[in-house]
Amino acid sequence: MATDLEYTPFELMAVTGARELKDGEIVAVGLGLPVVASFLAKRTHAPNLTIILELGVVDPEPIDIGSGLSDPRFWYRAKIHTSFVDMLGMVLHKGLVDVGFLGGLEVDAYGNLNTTLLGDPKGKFRRFTGSGGGNDLASCARRTVIIIRHEVRKLTEAVSFITSPGYLRGAGERERAGLVGGPGRVITDKAVFGFDPESKRMRLEAIHANTALDDVLSNMSFQPIVPSNLPVTEPPTAEQLRLIREEIDPDRMYAGS
Amino acid sequence: MSKVSTLAEAVASISSGSHVALSGFATARCAMAFAHEIIRQGINRLTVSQCVAAIEADMMIGAGSVERIVYGGGSRGRSGQHHCICRAIEHGTIITEELSSLSMTFRYLAGALGLPFIPIRSLNGSDILGRLQQFTPPVVSNLNDPFTGEEWLVLKPLIPDVAVIQVQVADEEGNAWILGPRWDNEEQAKASKRTIVITERLVSTEAIRRAPEQTVIPGFRVSHVVHLPFSAHPSSVYGVYDFDEDHIAQYAEASKTPQGFQQYLDKYVYGVKDHWEYIEMVGGMKRMNELEADPVLGY
Repeated sequence: MATDLEYTPFELMAVTGARELKDGEIVAVGLGLPVVASFLAKRTHAPNLTIILELGVVDPEPIDIGSGLSDPRFWYRAKIHTSFVDMLGMVLHKGLVDVGFLGGLEVDAYGNLNTTLLGDPKGKFRRFTGSGGGNDLASCARRTVIIIRHEVRKLTEAVSFITSPGYLRGAGERERAGLVGGPGRVITDKAVFGFDPESKRMRLEAIHANTALDDVLSNMSFQPIVPSNLPVTEPPTAEQLRLIREEIDPDRMYAGS
Repeated sequence: MSKVSTLAEAVASISSGSHVALSGFATARCAMAFAHEIIRQGINRLTVSQCVAAIEADMMIGAGSVERIVYGGGSRGRSGQHHCICRAIEHGTIITEELSSLSMTFRYLAGALGLPFIPIRSLNGSDILGRLQQFTPPVVSNLNDPFTGEEWLVLKPLIPDVAVIQVQVADEEGNAWILGPRWDNEEQAKASKRTIVITERLVSTEAIRRAPEQTVIPGFRVSHVVHLPFSAHPSSVYGVYDFDEDHIAQYAEASKTPQGFQQYLDKYVYGVKDHWEYIEMVGGMKRMNELEADPVLGY
């Protein structure tokens, strides 16, 4: 029955992101798809999810879509208005954030993320956002979920600048650097990845419906681990799609970002 | 004691080469009128710091007022990158001491607490740390936890010469309320040697005493109180006015090139004698009324 539903890649990614969140957890979100994923989880299987924004907002219930964290539309009906030192310090640094959503310019085979620059860091480069709270989430959250478009230039063997560390160059390196947690999932518009428990290299876990394995692999610039048994990503349910389309993002503003 | 002064007087108290902590976050509570006046007075070689880059820092950097930025990265959100900051970094025209949101906050917090350093888990393993390790004198180091022996990254405190904080409400002593989320502003003010408060509303100390739990910035840390409505335009002030999406779009487009940015400055900063002429130029009371926040929504 569910296979008859039509949905966009954005909707599938949001639903897949929502499934990463468990009831009672604390999630830190920024802009766009993770917001839809978190609100969707909270309205379905995770009513006791706590949503925090780094600048000092807890459990907002926006009715208008904001242009970013700094837009007061995103702070509406929050339970708490507070500060960085409270959110990123006393919640994240203390180890209480279960899931941090991250996005970026490029991610590599070990889940390291670059949001800082494209080009040669020591020569000619184009500058982008930098860390914000991204490095802090990647360093201190129990696990992170990376959302990124499935393109050759975005999925690279080694990022040109590590803004937010994943497993660095592989097994044991993250622990040696004094970091906890690490990336749990990478969700793209073609597939879902995890990380091999031993080598920490990215491993294909599911492919979205109507996507060929070759389409997934030929649009990456490294070879992930490919298991022999590869499921299709669980599609959205009718209720999940209704919530996204009618309640969470009726004007398609998140979906358009 | 009244510390009420004009914006020009408050800005004139800052000497070139000072370290100024700025209160903006992307497009919220940015010290815009302050940035205009810094540029008009020709104060330069500044170090500016904030956790997440905001448009007042972008403007001051574009105008050449800044020698060094200490910050945790940041963009305007959906409306794009801070073009002046990105250009200055790409061309190496400013010194960039770049951290993350939390490591910036911790450096202010250490400064506010009078601690010599502060340990942190963030930054480890990243290329951000690699760059910070190249600074002399050092801004990061490592030491072992004396209780467990575990090795920790430690950060140098930030002690700005002055924090410039946009607030909703203050009295003439500088006791100030920040409504809505306050990101790093409290730590900035308390880490700094002094604070300049720029307020939308100036109220009596009696009014402050009626809700002292809302006072985030203590008057005894404040050197100047500037009462200047709409002084964060085109950014937002929670509960007072919304951000001016049209003007931010205009600024964003103009700042894409040095020429466009210079034309913007010539018109809106150098082309006006003060904040009130600027407000007239961007639409006057009619526009400010359109931006007025709904008391329920806060925007």
